[in-house]
Amino acid sequence: MNKKIISIVLGIMCFTLTLGICIQVRTVKNSNSTVSQNYEENNLRAEVLKYKEKYENKYRELEKAQEQLEQERQNSTQNNESLEKKEEEIKQGNKMIGLSEVTGPGVIVTLSDSKQEASSVLNPSSLLVHDADVLSVINELKNAGAEAISINGQRLVPTSSISCGGNIIDINGEKVGAPFEIKAIGLPEQLSALSRQGGYLEILKNASIGAELKKSNNITIPKYTGIISYQYAQTVE
Amino acid sequence: MKKKMKKGKITMIVTIGIVCFILALVMSMQFKIVNETDITSIENMRESELRAELANWKSKYEETNQQYEEVTAKIEEYKNNKQSNDETEKLVNEELEQVNQLLGKTDVQGEGIEITLRETDNEEISRITSDDLVLIINTLKGAGAEAISINDERIINMSDIVDINGSFIKVNGQRILAPYILKAIGNQSYMESALIGNGGPIDEMKKIGQDVSVQKVNKLKIEKYNKDIKMKYIQ
Repeated sequence: MNKKIISIVLGIMCFTLTLGICIQVRTVKNSNSTVSQNYEENNLRAEVLKYKEKYENKYRELEKAQEQLEQERQNSTQNNESLEKKEEEIKQGNKMIGLSEVTGPGVIVTLSDSKQEASSVLNPSSLLVHDADVLSVINELKNAGAEAISINGQRLVPTSSISCGGNIIDINGEKVGAPFEIKAIGLPEQLSALSRQGGYLEILKNASIGAELKKSNNITIPKYTGIISYQYAQTVE
Repeated sequence: MKKKMKKGKITMIVTIGIVCFILALVMSMQFKIVNETDITSIENMRESELRAELANWKSKYEETNQQYEEVTAKIEEYKNNKQSNDETEKLVNEELEQVNQLLGKTDVQGEGIEITLRETDNEEISRITSDDLVLIINTLKGAGAEAISINDERIINMSDIVDINGSFIKVNGQRILAPYILKAIGNQSYMESALIGNGGPIDEMKKIGQDVSVQKVNKLKIEKYNKDIKMKYIQ
Protein backbone atom coordinates (compact mmCIF):
# COMPACT_ATOMS: atom_id res chain seq x y z
CA MET A 1 0.00 0.00 0.00
CA ASN A 2 2.68 2.41 1.11
CA LYS A 3 4.87 1.37 -1.79
CA LYS A 4 2.10 2.06 -4.24
CA ILE A 5 1.66 5.64 -3.01
CA ILE A 6 5.38 6.28 -3.24
CA SER A 7 5.48 4.90 -6.75
CA ILE A 8 2.58 7.07 -7.84
CA VAL A 9 4.11 10.21 -6.31
CA LEU A 10 7.44 9.48 -7.95
CA GLY A 11 5.71 8.75 -11.22
CA ILE A 12 3.92 12.09 -11.15
CA MET A 13 7.14 13.88 -10.27
CA CYS A 14 9.03 12.27 -13.14
CA PHE A 15 6.21 13.12 -15.51
CA THR A 16 6.21 16.78 -14.43
CA LEU A 17 9.96 17.05 -14.82
CA THR A 18 9.89 15.49 -18.25
CA LEU A 19 7.10 17.82 -19.26
CA GLY A 20 9.16 20.76 -17.98
CA ILE A 21 12.13 19.70 -20.05
CA CYS A 22 10.00 19.25 -23.13
CA ILE A 23 8.65 22.79 -22.78
CA GLN A 24 12.15 24.14 -22.26
CA VAL A 25 13.56 22.35 -25.26
CA ARG A 26 10.78 23.70 -27.39
CA THR A 27 11.34 27.27 -26.13
CA VAL A 28 15.03 27.06 -26.90
CA LYS A 29 14.30 25.66 -30.32
CA ASN A 30 11.92 28.50 -31.06
CA SER A 31 14.24 31.26 -29.94
CA ASN A 32 17.07 29.70 -31.87
CA SER A 33 15.13 29.17 -35.04
CA THR A 34 16.17 32.56 -36.40
CA VAL A 35 19.79 32.08 -35.48
CA SER A 36 21.94 30.35 -37.94
CA GLN A 37 24.84 29.28 -35.88
CA ASN A 38 27.50 29.26 -38.53
CA TYR A 39 31.10 29.87 -37.82
CA GLU A 40 31.39 33.23 -39.58
CA GLU A 41 28.50 34.73 -37.64
CA ASN A 42 29.83 33.51 -34.33
CA ASN A 43 33.16 35.09 -35.11
CA LEU A 44 31.49 38.36 -35.94
CA ARG A 45 29.49 38.19 -32.77
CA ALA A 46 32.61 37.76 -30.70
CA GLU A 47 34.23 40.65 -32.55
CA VAL A 48 31.25 42.91 -31.89
CA LEU A 49 31.37 42.13 -28.19
CA LYS A 50 35.10 42.73 -28.13
CA TYR A 51 34.82 46.16 -29.71
CA LYS A 52 31.86 47.09 -27.57
CA GLU A 53 33.89 46.31 -24.48
CA LYS A 54 36.93 48.14 -25.84
CA TYR A 55 34.76 51.17 -26.50
CA GLU A 56 33.21 51.07 -23.05
CA ASN A 57 36.59 50.87 -21.34
CA LYS A 58 37.99 53.68 -23.47
CA TYR A 59 34.95 55.81 -22.78
CA ARG A 60 35.42 55.42 -19.03
CA GLU A 61 39.06 56.44 -19.42
CA LEU A 62 38.00 59.44 -21.48
CA GLU A 63 35.53 60.54 -18.84
CA LYS A 64 38.22 60.36 -16.19
CA ALA A 65 40.63 62.28 -18.40
CA GLN A 66 38.03 64.98 -19.02
CA GLU A 67 37.54 65.43 -15.31
CA GLN A 68 41.28 65.64 -14.87
CA LEU A 69 41.54 68.21 -17.65
CA GLU A 70 38.92 70.37 -16.00
CA GLN A 71 40.83 70.14 -12.73
CA GLU A 72 44.12 70.93 -14.42
CA ARG A 73 42.63 73.88 -16.26
CA GLN A 74 41.18 75.21 -13.04
CA ASN A 75 44.50 74.88 -11.24
CA SER A 76 46.37 76.62 -14.03
CA THR A 77 44.00 79.55 -14.26
CA GLN A 78 43.15 80.24 -10.66
CA ASN A 79 45.75 82.96 -10.14
CA ASN A 80 44.79 85.04 -13.12
CA GLU A 81 41.50 86.87 -13.26
CA SER A 82 41.09 87.05 -17.02
CA LEU A 83 42.04 83.39 -17.45
CA GLU A 84 39.65 82.43 -14.70
CA LYS A 85 36.88 84.14 -16.61
CA LYS A 86 37.73 82.23 -19.77
CA GLU A 87 37.83 78.99 -17.83
CA GLU A 88 34.31 79.73 -16.61
CA GLU A 89 33.27 80.44 -20.22
CA ILE A 90 34.57 77.04 -21.33
CA LYS A 91 32.64 75.31 -18.56
CA GLN A 92 29.47 77.23 -19.35
CA GLY A 93 29.92 76.57 -23.07
CA ASN A 94 30.19 72.83 -22.52
CA LYS A 95 26.89 72.93 -20.67
CA MET A 96 25.20 74.74 -23.54
CA ILE A 97 26.60 72.38 -26.15
CA GLY A 98 25.50 69.38 -24.12
CA LEU A 99 28.91 68.07 -23.13
CA SER A 100 28.18 68.22 -19.40
CA GLU A 101 25.25 67.33 -17.21
CA VAL A 102 22.88 70.16 -16.25
CA THR A 103 20.11 70.67 -13.72
CA GLY A 104 17.39 73.26 -13.35
CA PRO A 105 13.65 73.92 -13.44
CA GLY A 106 11.62 72.91 -16.46
CA VAL A 107 9.04 70.52 -17.85
CA ILE A 108 8.76 66.85 -18.70
CA VAL A 109 6.65 66.01 -21.75
CA THR A 110 5.60 62.40 -22.20
CA LEU A 111 4.38 61.21 -25.59
CA SER A 112 2.91 57.73 -25.76
CA ASP A 113 1.20 55.67 -28.44
CA SER A 114 -2.59 55.71 -28.42
CA LYS A 115 -4.34 53.09 -26.30
CA GLN A 116 -7.03 52.64 -28.93
CA GLU A 117 -7.28 49.31 -30.73
CA ALA A 118 -5.34 49.44 -33.98
CA SER A 119 -8.20 47.69 -35.75
CA SER A 120 -10.66 50.41 -34.69
CA VAL A 121 -9.26 53.07 -37.01
CA LEU A 122 -8.67 53.40 -40.72
CA ASN A 123 -4.98 54.18 -40.43
CA PRO A 124 -3.30 52.41 -37.48
CA SER A 125 -0.14 54.44 -38.06
CA SER A 126 -2.01 57.53 -36.84
CA LEU A 127 -2.09 56.00 -33.36
CA LEU A 128 1.70 56.00 -33.03
CA VAL A 129 4.09 58.75 -32.03
CA HIS A 130 6.28 59.53 -35.04
CA ASP A 131 9.68 61.15 -35.44
CA ALA A 132 7.98 64.21 -36.93
CA ASP A 133 5.87 64.61 -33.76
CA VAL A 134 8.96 64.49 -31.57
CA LEU A 135 10.69 66.96 -33.90
CA SER A 136 7.75 69.38 -33.68
CA VAL A 137 7.53 69.16 -29.89
CA ILE A 138 11.24 69.87 -29.63
CA ASN A 139 11.02 72.83 -31.98
CA GLU A 140 8.19 74.23 -29.86
CA LEU A 141 10.17 73.70 -26.66
CA LYS A 142 13.09 75.62 -28.18
CA ASN A 143 10.70 78.35 -29.21
CA ALA A 144 9.46 78.52 -25.60
CA GLY A 145 13.00 79.13 -24.42
CA ALA A 146 14.34 75.66 -23.58
CA GLU A 147 18.03 75.74 -22.70
CA ALA A 148 18.72 71.99 -22.62
CA ILE A 149 16.65 69.06 -23.92
CA SER A 150 16.87 65.29 -23.71
CA ILE A 151 14.71 62.52 -25.15
CA ASN A 152 14.70 59.26 -23.20
CA GLY A 153 18.06 60.26 -21.77
CA GLN A 154 19.61 61.24 -25.12
CA ARG A 155 20.90 64.81 -24.86
CA LEU A 156 20.29 67.10 -27.82
CA VAL A 157 23.55 68.57 -29.11
CA PRO A 158 24.13 70.79 -32.18
CA THR A 159 24.60 67.72 -34.39
CA SER A 160 21.66 65.67 -33.08
CA SER A 161 19.04 64.47 -35.51
CA ILE A 162 15.89 62.45 -35.09
CA SER A 163 15.07 59.80 -37.61
CA CYS A 164 12.54 57.07 -38.02
CA GLY A 165 13.64 53.47 -37.73
CA GLY A 166 10.45 51.44 -37.96
CA ASN A 167 8.46 51.67 -34.76
CA ILE A 168 11.40 53.14 -32.89
CA ILE A 169 13.24 56.39 -33.48
CA ASP A 170 16.91 57.04 -33.77
CA ILE A 171 18.51 59.90 -31.79
CA ASN A 172 22.26 60.46 -31.68
CA GLY A 173 22.60 57.05 -33.33
CA GLU A 174 20.84 55.39 -30.38
CA LYS A 175 17.50 53.71 -30.74
CA VAL A 176 14.71 54.79 -28.42
CA GLY A 177 11.10 53.64 -28.30
CA ALA A 178 7.76 55.01 -27.10
CA PRO A 179 6.79 56.31 -24.61
CA PHE A 180 9.07 59.27 -25.25
CA GLU A 181 10.06 61.26 -22.21
CA ILE A 182 11.24 64.69 -23.29
CA LYS A 183 12.92 66.75 -20.58
CA ALA A 184 13.53 70.45 -21.04
CA ILE A 185 15.14 73.01 -18.75
CA GLY A 186 13.90 76.59 -18.87
CA LEU A 187 11.23 78.74 -17.26
CA PRO A 188 8.46 76.19 -16.49
CA GLU A 189 5.65 78.73 -16.97
CA GLN A 190 6.94 79.58 -20.43
CA LEU A 191 7.70 76.00 -21.45
CA SER A 192 4.22 74.88 -20.45
CA ALA A 193 2.85 77.11 -23.21
CA LEU A 194 3.17 73.90 -25.20
CA SER A 195 -0.09 72.66 -23.78
CA ARG A 196 -1.95 75.83 -24.83
CA GLN A 197 -5.10 75.64 -26.92
CA GLY A 198 -4.29 74.87 -30.52
CA GLY A 199 -0.73 73.94 -29.54
CA TYR A 200 0.99 70.83 -30.78
CA LEU A 201 0.24 68.79 -27.65
CA GLU A 202 -3.47 69.45 -28.11
CA ILE A 203 -3.28 68.38 -31.73
CA LEU A 204 -1.66 65.12 -30.61
CA LYS A 205 -4.28 64.61 -27.89
CA ASN A 206 -7.06 65.11 -30.42
CA ALA A 207 -5.47 62.34 -32.43
CA SER A 208 -5.85 60.24 -29.24
CA ILE A 209 -2.08 60.10 -28.74
CA GLY A 210 -0.92 60.37 -25.13
CA ALA A 211 0.64 63.80 -24.53
CA GLU A 212 1.29 64.87 -20.95
CA LEU A 213 3.19 67.89 -19.67
CA LYS A 214 4.46 68.11 -16.12
CA LYS A 215 6.29 71.04 -14.54
CA SER A 216 9.20 70.35 -12.25
CA ASN A 217 11.60 72.47 -10.25
CA ASN A 218 14.41 70.00 -10.38
CA ILE A 219 15.24 68.36 -13.67
CA THR A 220 18.53 66.68 -14.44
CA ILE A 221 19.56 66.29 -18.05
CA PRO A 222 22.52 64.01 -18.76
CA LYS A 223 25.44 64.89 -20.97
CA TYR A 224 25.91 63.66 -24.51
CA THR A 225 27.76 60.36 -24.46
CA GLY A 226 29.10 60.58 -27.97
CA ILE A 227 31.83 62.72 -29.46
CA ILE A 228 31.46 65.84 -31.56
CA SER A 229 34.40 66.40 -33.82
CA TYR A 230 34.24 68.51 -36.96
CA GLN A 231 36.11 67.42 -40.05
CA TYR A 232 34.85 69.90 -42.62
CA ALA A 233 34.06 73.13 -40.81
CA GLN A 234 36.99 75.33 -39.94
CA THR A 235 36.87 78.52 -37.94
CA VAL A 236 37.89 81.55 -39.98
CA GLU A 237 38.44 85.12 -38.90
CA MET B 1 12.44 -12.46 2.04
CA LYS B 2 12.05 -9.27 4.04
CA LYS B 3 15.70 -8.42 3.62
CA LYS B 4 15.58 -8.93 -0.12
CA MET B 5 12.58 -6.62 -0.43
CA LYS B 6 14.39 -3.91 1.49
CA LYS B 7 17.42 -4.16 -0.78
CA GLY B 8 15.27 -3.91 -3.87
CA LYS B 9 13.47 -0.89 -2.45
CA ILE B 10 16.73 0.92 -1.71
CA THR B 11 18.00 0.30 -5.24
CA MET B 12 14.78 1.60 -6.63
CA ILE B 13 14.86 4.75 -4.52
CA VAL B 14 18.49 5.42 -5.38
CA THR B 15 17.80 4.93 -9.08
CA ILE B 16 14.81 7.22 -9.02
CA GLY B 17 16.82 9.73 -7.02
CA ILE B 18 19.55 9.76 -9.65
CA VAL B 19 17.03 10.09 -12.46
CA CYS B 20 15.36 13.01 -10.71
CA PHE B 21 18.73 14.66 -10.15
CA ILE B 22 19.67 14.33 -13.81
CA LEU B 23 16.33 15.68 -14.90
CA ALA B 24 16.66 18.67 -12.61
CA LEU B 25 20.18 19.29 -13.91
CA VAL B 26 19.06 19.23 -17.53
CA MET B 27 16.25 21.58 -16.68
CA SER B 28 18.52 24.12 -15.03
CA MET B 29 20.91 23.95 -17.98
CA GLN B 30 18.03 24.65 -20.29
CA PHE B 31 16.97 27.60 -18.19
CA LYS B 32 20.44 29.02 -18.49
CA ILE B 33 20.46 28.70 -22.26
CA VAL B 34 17.09 30.41 -22.51
CA ASN B 35 18.31 33.21 -20.28
CA GLU B 36 21.47 33.73 -22.28
CA THR B 37 19.68 33.93 -25.59
CA ASP B 38 17.52 36.68 -24.14
CA ILE B 39 20.37 38.83 -22.86
CA THR B 40 22.11 39.80 -26.04
CA SER B 41 20.09 40.84 -29.02
CA ILE B 42 23.14 40.25 -31.19
CA GLU B 43 22.47 36.54 -30.87
CA ASN B 44 19.59 36.99 -33.25
CA MET B 45 21.33 39.22 -35.78
CA ARG B 46 22.14 38.18 -39.29
CA GLU B 47 25.53 38.53 -40.85
CA SER B 48 24.95 41.89 -42.55
CA GLU B 49 23.50 43.37 -39.37
CA LEU B 50 26.45 42.07 -37.41
CA ARG B 51 28.86 43.71 -39.84
CA ALA B 52 27.05 47.02 -39.49
CA GLU B 53 27.07 46.66 -35.73
CA LEU B 54 30.77 45.88 -35.75
CA ALA B 55 31.57 48.89 -37.94
CA ASN B 56 29.51 51.05 -35.60
CA TRP B 57 31.37 49.97 -32.45
CA LYS B 58 34.71 50.19 -34.23
CA SER B 59 34.17 53.77 -35.30
CA LYS B 60 32.83 54.67 -31.87
CA TYR B 61 35.93 53.17 -30.31
CA GLU B 62 38.25 55.00 -32.68
CA GLU B 63 36.53 58.33 -32.14
CA THR B 64 36.71 57.88 -28.39
CA ASN B 65 40.33 56.87 -28.56
CA GLN B 66 41.23 59.93 -30.62
CA GLN B 67 39.38 62.22 -28.25
CA TYR B 68 41.08 60.52 -25.31
CA GLU B 69 44.48 61.19 -26.80
CA GLU B 70 43.63 64.83 -27.42
CA VAL B 71 42.42 65.28 -23.85
CA THR B 72 45.46 63.62 -22.30
CA ALA B 73 47.75 65.73 -24.50
CA LYS B 74 46.01 68.87 -23.21
CA ILE B 75 46.40 67.71 -19.61
CA GLU B 76 50.12 67.25 -20.17
CA GLU B 77 50.44 70.69 -21.71
CA TYR B 78 48.67 72.33 -18.81
CA LYS B 79 50.94 70.48 -16.40
CA ASN B 80 54.11 71.42 -18.27
CA ASN B 81 53.20 75.06 -18.64
CA LYS B 82 51.99 75.72 -15.15
CA GLN B 83 54.69 78.30 -14.53
CA SER B 84 54.12 80.28 -17.69
CA ASN B 85 51.05 82.47 -17.80
CA ASP B 86 51.46 83.10 -21.52
CA GLU B 87 51.50 79.42 -22.41
CA THR B 88 48.53 78.72 -20.17
CA GLU B 89 46.64 81.56 -21.80
CA LYS B 90 47.33 80.07 -25.21
CA LEU B 91 45.94 76.72 -24.09
CA VAL B 92 42.84 78.26 -22.56
CA ASN B 93 42.25 80.32 -25.70
CA GLU B 94 42.50 77.22 -27.88
CA GLU B 95 39.98 75.36 -25.77
CA LEU B 96 37.67 78.34 -25.69
CA GLU B 97 37.83 78.65 -29.46
CA GLN B 98 36.83 75.01 -29.83
CA VAL B 99 33.88 75.51 -27.49
CA ASN B 100 32.84 78.63 -29.39
CA GLN B 101 33.01 76.76 -32.67
CA LEU B 102 30.63 74.09 -31.39
CA LEU B 103 28.35 76.77 -29.98
CA GLY B 104 28.19 78.45 -33.39
CA LYS B 105 29.90 81.63 -32.17
CA THR B 106 32.59 81.61 -34.87
CA ASP B 107 32.48 82.04 -38.64
CA VAL B 108 33.29 78.73 -40.28
CA GLN B 109 34.35 77.65 -43.73
CA GLY B 110 34.53 74.36 -45.58
CA GLU B 111 32.99 72.24 -48.30
CA GLY B 112 29.25 71.92 -48.31
CA ILE B 113 25.99 72.49 -50.08
CA GLU B 114 23.66 75.38 -50.69
CA ILE B 115 19.91 74.82 -50.93
CA THR B 116 17.61 77.39 -52.49
CA LEU B 117 13.88 77.33 -51.83
CA ARG B 118 11.76 79.77 -53.83
CA GLU B 119 8.09 80.56 -53.42
CA THR B 120 6.17 79.92 -56.63
CA ASP B 121 3.45 82.19 -58.03
CA ASN B 122 1.20 79.20 -58.55
CA GLU B 123 -1.56 79.44 -55.93
CA GLU B 124 -2.19 75.71 -56.00
CA ILE B 125 1.26 74.86 -54.77
CA SER B 126 1.55 75.12 -51.00
CA ARG B 127 3.72 77.74 -49.35
CA ILE B 128 7.07 76.75 -47.85
CA THR B 129 6.54 76.39 -44.09
CA SER B 130 8.68 76.28 -41.00
CA ASP B 131 8.03 72.52 -40.86
CA ASP B 132 9.75 72.13 -44.23
CA LEU B 133 12.79 73.97 -42.91
CA VAL B 134 12.81 71.98 -39.63
CA LEU B 135 12.73 68.77 -41.62
CA ILE B 136 15.51 69.81 -44.00
CA ILE B 137 17.73 70.85 -41.09
CA ASN B 138 17.06 67.59 -39.27
CA THR B 139 17.98 65.66 -42.42
CA LEU B 140 21.15 67.71 -42.88
CA LYS B 141 22.21 67.01 -39.28
CA GLY B 142 21.48 63.33 -39.77
CA ALA B 143 23.80 63.37 -42.78
CA GLY B 144 26.59 64.87 -40.70
CA ALA B 145 26.24 68.62 -41.26
CA GLU B 146 28.63 70.53 -39.01
CA ALA B 147 27.29 74.04 -39.47
CA ILE B 148 24.00 75.26 -40.94
CA SER B 149 22.44 78.63 -41.63
CA ILE B 150 19.17 79.86 -43.15
CA ASN B 151 19.39 83.27 -44.81
CA ASP B 152 22.54 83.79 -42.74
CA GLU B 153 20.79 83.03 -39.44
CA ARG B 154 23.09 80.45 -37.90
CA ILE B 155 21.38 77.35 -36.56
CA ILE B 156 22.65 76.68 -33.04
CA ASN B 157 21.71 73.96 -30.56
CA MET B 158 18.59 75.74 -29.31
CA SER B 159 17.54 77.48 -32.54
CA ASP B 160 13.81 77.45 -33.26
CA ILE B 161 12.00 77.87 -36.57
CA VAL B 162 8.37 78.95 -36.38
CA ASP B 163 5.56 80.10 -38.61
CA ILE B 164 3.94 83.36 -37.56
CA ASN B 165 0.25 83.47 -38.47
CA GLY B 166 0.97 81.35 -41.51
CA SER B 167 2.45 84.36 -43.25
CA PHE B 168 6.15 84.45 -42.47
CA ILE B 169 8.88 82.45 -40.79
CA LYS B 170 11.06 83.32 -37.82
CA VAL B 171 14.46 81.74 -37.16
CA ASN B 172 16.20 82.54 -33.86
CA GLY B 173 13.42 85.06 -33.33
CA GLN B 174 14.39 86.89 -36.54
CA ARG B 175 11.97 87.24 -39.40
CA ILE B 176 13.28 85.75 -42.66
CA LEU B 177 11.87 86.15 -46.15
CA ALA B 178 11.78 83.94 -49.26
CA PRO B 179 13.81 82.88 -51.15
CA TYR B 180 15.26 80.76 -48.36
CA ILE B 181 18.92 79.95 -48.79
CA LEU B 182 20.24 77.19 -46.55
CA LYS B 183 23.96 76.65 -46.25
CA ALA B 184 25.44 73.51 -44.72
CA ILE B 185 29.06 72.49 -44.23
CA GLY B 186 29.85 68.79 -44.17
CA ASN B 187 30.19 65.81 -46.48
CA GLN B 188 28.66 67.00 -49.76
CA SER B 189 27.52 63.68 -51.15
CA TYR B 190 26.04 62.42 -47.86
CA MET B 191 24.03 65.58 -47.42
CA GLU B 192 22.95 65.81 -51.03
CA SER B 193 21.76 62.23 -51.28
CA ALA B 194 19.91 62.46 -47.96
CA LEU B 195 18.00 65.47 -49.32
CA ILE B 196 17.33 64.54 -52.93
CA GLY B 197 17.27 60.77 -52.60
CA ASN B 198 13.95 58.99 -52.85
CA GLY B 199 11.74 60.15 -49.96
CA GLY B 200 14.17 62.87 -48.89
CA PRO B 201 12.62 66.25 -47.99
CA ILE B 202 13.82 68.04 -51.14
CA ASP B 203 12.62 65.13 -53.27
CA GLU B 204 9.19 65.38 -51.63
CA MET B 205 9.02 69.14 -52.20
CA LYS B 206 9.95 68.73 -55.85
CA LYS B 207 7.23 66.14 -56.28
CA ILE B 208 4.55 68.62 -55.25
CA GLY B 209 5.95 71.19 -57.65
CA GLN B 210 7.91 73.47 -55.35
CA ASP B 211 10.87 75.37 -56.73
CA VAL B 212 13.86 73.91 -54.90
CA SER B 213 17.46 73.29 -55.87
CA VAL B 214 20.63 71.93 -54.31
CA GLN B 215 24.11 72.95 -55.28
CA LYS B 216 27.53 71.79 -54.11
CA VAL B 217 29.90 74.53 -53.04
CA ASN B 218 33.54 73.81 -52.35
CA LYS B 219 34.37 76.80 -50.21
CA LEU B 220 31.27 77.69 -48.28
CA LYS B 221 31.36 80.28 -45.53
CA ILE B 222 28.79 80.28 -42.76
CA GLU B 223 28.48 83.23 -40.47
CA LYS B 224 28.45 83.03 -36.71
CA TYR B 225 25.45 83.41 -34.45
CA ASN B 226 25.41 87.14 -34.02
CA LYS B 227 23.85 87.49 -30.58
CA ASP B 228 24.88 86.47 -27.08
CA ILE B 229 23.69 83.02 -26.12
CA LYS B 230 22.11 83.56 -22.75
CA MET B 231 21.33 80.77 -20.35
CA LYS B 232 19.43 81.60 -17.21
CA TYR B 233 18.12 78.31 -15.91
CA ILE B 234 20.67 75.58 -16.48
CA GLN B 235 23.15 74.86 -13.73
